[in-house]
Amino acid sequence: MNADMGCAQVRELAPELALGIAEGGERAAALRHLSGCAGCRRLVSELSSVGDELLLLAPAAEPPPGFESRVLGRLADAARPRGIQRPRWRRWAAVAAAAVLAAALGGGSVFLATAGDRRLADGYQAVLRQGEGSFFAAAPLQGPRGRAGTVFGYQGQPSWAMVTLRPTIPAERRFRVQVLTRDGRYLAAGEAVLGGDKTAWGGQLPVDLSAVHELRLLGADGRTAFAATFDAASPWD
Amino acid sequence: MPVAEEGCTETGTMRNLSDESLLAGLGSGDPDAAATFVRRFQHRVFGLTLSVLRDRGAAEEAAQESFVRAWRHASAYDPRRGTVAAWLLTIARNVSINMLPARRFDPVDPEAVLAVEAQRPPERGTEARVEDRELLREPLAQLPADQRRALVLAVFYGLTAREISELDDVPLGTVKTRIRSAMLKLRSQLRVPDER
Repeated sequence: MNADMGCAQVRELAPELALGIAEGGERAAALRHLSGCAGCRRLVSELSSVGDELLLLAPAAEPPPGFESRVLGRLADAARPRGIQRPRWRRWAAVAAAAVLAAALGGGSVFLATAGDRRLADGYQAVLRQGEGSFFAAAPLQGPRGRAGTVFGYQGQPSWAMVTLRPTIPAERRFRVQVLTRDGRYLAAGEAVLGGDKTAWGGQLPVDLSAVHELRLLGADGRTAFAATFDAASPWD
Repeated sequence: MPVAEEGCTETGTMRNLSDESLLAGLGSGDPDAAATFVRRFQHRVFGLTLSVLRDRGAAEEAAQESFVRAWRHASAYDPRRGTVAAWLLTIARNVSINMLPARRFDPVDPEAVLAVEAQRPPERGTEARVEDRELLREPLAQLPADQRRALVLAVFYGLTAREISELDDVPLGTVKTRIRSAMLKLRSQLRVPDER
């Protein structure tokens, strides 16, 4: 019933969208509209700024004694090299960094075989500095029969993605690559030929990786054949 | 990440770093930057988590978790989308809401959230932002009470219009109108240009 929201309806809902409290069907329909309407997107963005300003009005309060050291202790635990608690995307990022480092260093396999996490992290940061990037991420590429590969992403200038596909498609097929952004826009990101011997595709993203919610490969029928969701690129949601 | 000793002397360099630089330092695992970042924002983060949860133990847990999430996601911070303070408080708000037991909301006067405490602890390096922080206080105070209540419930507790409607036994359309009217009035106070 909300399939075709117009500007008037979306503007009615804009405050709730901006505050993140719009519900289900309404929200989805509004996001579809926003993907093609710069004016409504701007309104939602401005109202989001109002929400941010309101949060700043909360009164400050003195935390309990020792708070600071307990926070720093938790950070130290979380950052411990073999820590189980490291977030999933960081582990994925380490995998992506390993792949890039291996390629960049030539003898990368030896380096990686002997390096600890700290050294890997240093190398990771060095690679990011070279490319003026800020992080790598990766997400499983899901197809109709489950996991079909991996999408690696790089946040930098420009941001890019690399799709690697398991040998699940016997012959070459052409896909339109599409990005769904966190604010609901659908953007074209080129064309990929995958299948047969072609198991990887890479290309520039039309937006920052941090703005990407999902990367999709659309088949000839325009439907999503494969998709990868970047679930932790932004804490704003 | 090595643990910086609590209360250690902050270097002038650290103290003078911008919020964005400190966040970058936190994200890269710099213990001095992490300590300064926590010190700079702990009052505000704890104040917000305490306002939402109203339990000091739960508020501390939420505040700690907020800083851990800030560290995890530091690299994804985008200055074009808002200040570090707003970004961090959004995280703290979301963490706090998730810790509210089973989304049950105790209908205490939500305006308590906005009560100005007699003593606001100083936050080093952010004095210049105090004025910004007050930008909406007066306009918010001038809103009709029902609009202000709906807005506070939505902003600080993440309640949907439907949930506010059920909580206050007010028609859904009325709640939506209240939120919308309040937001549009405040938007005009921020002097953002009309999009038309």
